[in-house]
Amino acid sequence: MTEKTLEHILEQHEEMAVTVEPNWIRIAAPASRLPELASQLAPEWAFAGIVPENDPKTQSLRLLYVFYARNGPWVGIEVRNHDQSIPTISNILFAADWQEREMEDLFDVQFEGHPQLGDFVLHDSHWPEGTAPMKRHSWEIRQKTTESRNLSTPRIVEASGSFVMPIGPIFSGTQEAIQFGLETVGEEIVFAHIRPFYKYRAVEKLLEGQTPSVALLIAERIDGLTAFSHSLAMAQAFETLAGAPVPPRVRLLRVFWAEIERIRSHMQVLAGILESTGLSVPANLIQALEEDLLQLSGALTGHRYLFGLVRPGGLSRDWSDTEIENIVDRLGTILEPSQRILDALTFDNSFLDRLEAVGTLSLESASTHCLVGPVARASGINRDLRVWQPYQAYDQITFDVPVQAEGDGYARFRQLCQEIVQSYRIVQQIPPLLPAALSQTEDFGITQAGTALGYAESPAGAVICCVSANSRGMVERCRVITPGLVNWHAFPQSVRHFAFQDFPIILATFGLSVADLDR
Amino acid sequence: MTGFLLFLSLSLAACVLAFVVPGHWTTRVSSVMGSFAAAALVYSGIVSFFFHSWSLNLWNLQGWGLLEVGEPRLPAFFVVVTGLVFLPVSWFSPEYLKRLQPRYDLRYFVLIYHALMMAIALTFLARDVITFLLAWEIMSVASYLAVNFEHLQESHTQAGYTMLGASEAGFLLTLGAWLPLIAVSHSIDFSAIQAASARHHFPLSLGWAVMLCSFFGFGVKAGLFPSMSWLPRAHPAAPANFSAILSGVILNLGIYGIIEINGVLWPIHNPSEGLLIVVIGSVTALIGILYASTENHLKRMLAHSSIENMGLITIALGATFTFRAAHLPELAWIAGIAALYQILNHSLYKSLLFLGAGAIDAGTGDLEMDRLGGLARRMPWTSAAMLAGVMAISALPPFNGFISEWLIIQSLLRSVVLKPTIDQVIFAFSGVIVALTAGLAATAFIKLYGMIFLGPGRSAASENAHEAGYGPRWAMGSLALLCLILGVTPTYVVTGLSPLAAQLAGGGVLGGLIPPFFSPRHLPRSLGQTFGPLGAEVGHHLLPGPGLVFLYQSPGPSPNVVFASSPSYLAVAMGIFLALSYLALRIVKKHQRVVRHEPWQGGVRQLPADAHYTATGFSNPIVVIFQAILRPYRPVEHEQFLASHFHSAVQREVRESYVVDRLVFYPAATVVQSIAGVLARIHHGKINVYIAYALITLLAVISLSLWVFP
Amino acid sequence: MLWFRKGLDQPVRTLTPKTSSTLHGLSPGRPAPTPSRDAAPEDVCPTHALKEHDGVMDVDYTQCIQCRLCRQQSLKNKMNWEEGFHWAQMTSTSLPDAFHHSVHVRVVDAGDCGACLNELHQLASPVYSLHRLGIAFTPAPREADVLVVTGPVTVSMKETLEEAFQSMPTPKRVMAVGTCALSGGIFSSSFAVAGPVDRVIPVDIAIPGCPPPPLALLDGFRLIMGARPENPLDGRVRK
Repeated sequence: MTEKTLEHILEQHEEMAVTVEPNWIRIAAPASRLPELASQLAPEWAFAGIVPENDPKTQSLRLLYVFYARNGPWVGIEVRNHDQSIPTISNILFAADWQEREMEDLFDVQFEGHPQLGDFVLHDSHWPEGTAPMKRHSWEIRQKTTESRNLSTPRIVEASGSFVMPIGPIFSGTQEAIQFGLETVGEEIVFAHIRPFYKYRAVEKLLEGQTPSVALLIAERIDGLTAFSHSLAMAQAFETLAGAPVPPRVRLLRVFWAEIERIRSHMQVLAGILESTGLSVPANLIQALEEDLLQLSGALTGHRYLFGLVRPGGLSRDWSDTEIENIVDRLGTILEPSQRILDALTFDNSFLDRLEAVGTLSLESASTHCLVGPVARASGINRDLRVWQPYQAYDQITFDVPVQAEGDGYARFRQLCQEIVQSYRIVQQIPPLLPAALSQTEDFGITQAGTALGYAESPAGAVICCVSANSRGMVERCRVITPGLVNWHAFPQSVRHFAFQDFPIILATFGLSVADLDR
Repeated sequence: MTGFLLFLSLSLAACVLAFVVPGHWTTRVSSVMGSFAAAALVYSGIVSFFFHSWSLNLWNLQGWGLLEVGEPRLPAFFVVVTGLVFLPVSWFSPEYLKRLQPRYDLRYFVLIYHALMMAIALTFLARDVITFLLAWEIMSVASYLAVNFEHLQESHTQAGYTMLGASEAGFLLTLGAWLPLIAVSHSIDFSAIQAASARHHFPLSLGWAVMLCSFFGFGVKAGLFPSMSWLPRAHPAAPANFSAILSGVILNLGIYGIIEINGVLWPIHNPSEGLLIVVIGSVTALIGILYASTENHLKRMLAHSSIENMGLITIALGATFTFRAAHLPELAWIAGIAALYQILNHSLYKSLLFLGAGAIDAGTGDLEMDRLGGLARRMPWTSAAMLAGVMAISALPPFNGFISEWLIIQSLLRSVVLKPTIDQVIFAFSGVIVALTAGLAATAFIKLYGMIFLGPGRSAASENAHEAGYGPRWAMGSLALLCLILGVTPTYVVTGLSPLAAQLAGGGVLGGLIPPFFSPRHLPRSLGQTFGPLGAEVGHHLLPGPGLVFLYQSPGPSPNVVFASSPSYLAVAMGIFLALSYLALRIVKKHQRVVRHEPWQGGVRQLPADAHYTATGFSNPIVVIFQAILRPYRPVEHEQFLASHFHSAVQREVRESYVVDRLVFYPAATVVQSIAGVLARIHHGKINVYIAYALITLLAVISLSLWVFP
Repeated sequence: MLWFRKGLDQPVRTLTPKTSSTLHGLSPGRPAPTPSRDAAPEDVCPTHALKEHDGVMDVDYTQCIQCRLCRQQSLKNKMNWEEGFHWAQMTSTSLPDAFHHSVHVRVVDAGDCGACLNELHQLASPVYSLHRLGIAFTPAPREADVLVVTGPVTVSMKETLEEAFQSMPTPKRVMAVGTCALSGGIFSSSFAVAGPVDRVIPVDIAIPGCPPPPLALLDGFRLIMGARPENPLDGRVRK
């Protein structure tokens, strides 16, 4: 089906150069044809993001619009940026909005027809517009002397007596730094604005010139709570570039730890939801179980958050079969009480009242934002890279991808609960599949320059990583498209027309990480 | 009588002087003359109230009777209140009027002002129906001219017409009460009517007719349900000094009319009539306060709050009439005290608040609470005076509003002694509504003070506000002081009001509410033993009078204390506590270094003005909770997009229609229009048919008059 | 009420000094100074935390991100590894007595990856239950005695961090948590990072680690409160 549509589209654009690589079709399109192509792809392909890369011939910047589909090849539309503007596709694919703003801020690419460019990643109070730090291979970034910071969310609500309720960047308990401007006339959020990138650490710039081994250490610190998936996505890109096959045992063990991370991360989100609804007893119980998982990870991998576990071509250590089986048993004992708690919650009216029909994100809205991860699946989009584009050993394993239809807070809650069950199911299947032989590719090295794509379904959604390396094996450019970047974009939509007291609950049900967005 | 004549001559002189003195003196001369005239009015009222009333025959109208003015207790009370409002308003006016100088001729203002004062005084003092009606009409026209003074603004003209129309409709309805009274007593003289009503026993239906016509007719002027929708339109339109008079005096005229007919001339004998008054009062109070708490235009909000206060007064009056008709004079007396006290209080604090609104308008040019803010720093005097007014109207001790509202609730709670259950239920419900009203009033006035005086300035106008001059400061300050005095010395005020209340209640003695703690010989021993050690006799060496304690005991063989309070001692205690806490803080903080820093704003150094709570936001919960009443208060939202997905604007307008308009007037107007549509068919322009109409009308009138006066 | 009962039904999860000694995974451990001849070479460390010094390969903990590259299998010599959690270090000369019984803590995220924050959050779970030790998180720095800062201070968060520090009442102390906060860690060379916390506001307690485990954080809090028991979970120790 997908293949046919693609053929059909390509027939219409015969004049464009098409490069077919394994699992990867690149279409070199003139900028003017981009919107047309994007709108033809939009119904079946999910928009992943915009990847900037150096044209190997001219060394000038070009943009790659990446799309992916179920069981189809990845599609990239190459658009050259000859210092002229590129037409925006955010009017067709709203998901491209933030990506275009990011490109404009970091690379000084102008998008024609985008209404809100500027002051996004680089806050204008610190960096003058047009700084474009990623455009050059240079560290000399002009930095303005800081001026007094004001709340600078725009105002769009026109109603008598409307005002902005500012939240953040420092707010509530141990929340990450992000700022919201909730426009309201009193009780109800009429419109919500987000001001992210307070925590912008310029990870993509930092990755330039790094060896794969160090690059993975940086990638896992993009978002500490889903570190394994991030480094896994990047490791896959390096492995494609090196052309080295990954040993089957490693592939299975990576799935194993990725699922344990998913369970732990979902537990953390669930504890957050329970805490936001004021149910501190179950919140604390779940949090204690999360601590059990952290201790389990710490005891067996040397790091509670699985940092430093993925290495290019392998994992930093191996486990005996009995150890693996013990882990599965221990997981079972941890998950058993959690299931009891979560089941009991489905009968708790005071809990359900706070989640049901709260923070609803319709299927339509979720698809215009091209959402990923549990948030998308809770709104009815069956999108999961583990099934769409099986990586590592996911093709050897049977599991279901649960999907909810309602898109409200309760759907997201159930989604997380059901995914924990499926992840445990995956983990249970792994010990019998493990081949005895080990494992490590000791001499990992990239010898050929090129660009490769790596991806993984992190607990929060698809992490897509596009790495260009030079012939010395160093990273030349890297783009990490995180679930945070995609899903935060839709968050303001979901809080509209709900009361203030729903805001923290909706925020918790999204389970979004700011570090993941800010990078 | 001297006071009254002095008042008349001063007022007339002021009118003349306005056209004689040079232009820039006009308002100052008027202010001086006006304050002396008002002082003369207060003097005249006090003399008549406490010592001896007077009367003056004006003219013997052939075939009708004597036209006369006079000042018994009831009018004297209202005259004092009127004078107390006009006095500070006179001080306030000259500076306030400066900004109208370029566009309007202020000589006419002076003329209207003094004509209005005279007409009001005459209306109170009229002792016969004809004088009363004449004075009433003059007052109506003068108040219309006052509302319409800034006639260059179209909305004001409309408001003026609405008010005049409503006033005239009410006037016509009151005729329905006057005519039967004249008919049964064969006289236009008030004393004759009163004598007739005491002599004869008239049918119930006639009683109801008089009561209904007078209550609803005067209710229009007092802004009672269902005829108050002119009020929130007219009050904001008038200049602030007139608004103060409209709320502080002219509303009282309606109340005066109701009391004069139903309490003095034709006392209500049927408890059900009193209950109806209680019900209407409750509805009025609730609607008034709901709109007051959701309204964000300062003067409109105060106008709605006036409706609420009129409702409270009406509830207390209704209670008086009910208890009196149920032969419970003691309770009727307490409710009467509450009503009179509330009238006095409302006039004072509402004129204070309206004058404050005027000062804010003059200082900032804006009255929209959403755009004001932080005025406490720029207008400290106005702010302090308004704080007193706001505390008084929110019924917070040590200010006067507390005592009258407390007495109203207490008298409603005495419903247990009423016989039929339905009466008890109605009283209990009213008590609940008064309590709810008090709570909402506190919310509404916290909003008023918080949004206007605290926080950051929300607009350039409020950032550049300037303080009012000495005249307005004195005016507001003296009103605030009066509010405080009336709140600290309530027992003396009650002692003063007692004879009038006894007249309305048909009984009641002062000792029933204020036991003679200061002359313990007359005190029952049990009371003295219980309350004496608590301090109820503190101050009896210094102070005259019966004591500073309110105490009501249920009658019967074993008296129980039903309620008791001493606002005076409470005020003293509050003062001592405040002083002690201040001293304690001073001592504790003596060796501490205080570092001041901007408020914590989530890490943002400066928040823009629009990132602060607005009045709309503050009252939004009330809008949500009372959606059933404020129902079509529904926001209509329009969204505008750029490039298909980007919101460029979310416009939200709130469509609201006044609940009374929605439930009463719009349906009524539809009915009237359809009837008029049917009747329009008889206008077909044929002269012979029109002559036939005239003939039929003549026959009808003749036969009617023959039937009525055989 | 229902949940209250269910909560009582659960076994006590709170760690005690005794139970914590039997558990693994509470602390990931960190490299220990190693004699040079047995130690991994300096250049294996991505954050330059290894420095040779008088024949001993020293570890600069303000730089170490515990990536374990100095223990990878391909190396001939590996760094020694130490368990434990007494990682907190006092960097200022004095701590006020006012903190002896209870401290209120405001956490500021100045560019954290989420791991340090989650470890801080984990402290509030029944497993560590920091409240019983007299420590509480507050929503605003206005009520806070201690400002806990995590993450390399990004350029955009710098002013906000200063603002938070200035908003605190005196006496106040700052605790920098995590290697990023101490030196910038792996992000130190990023253009968007303004530098470690002590370049913005004075730091009194430094807790290295990437992330420091909850017990190391508790160790820091106990140090600030003037007591440093053998095990930070020991609630009875008073100075």
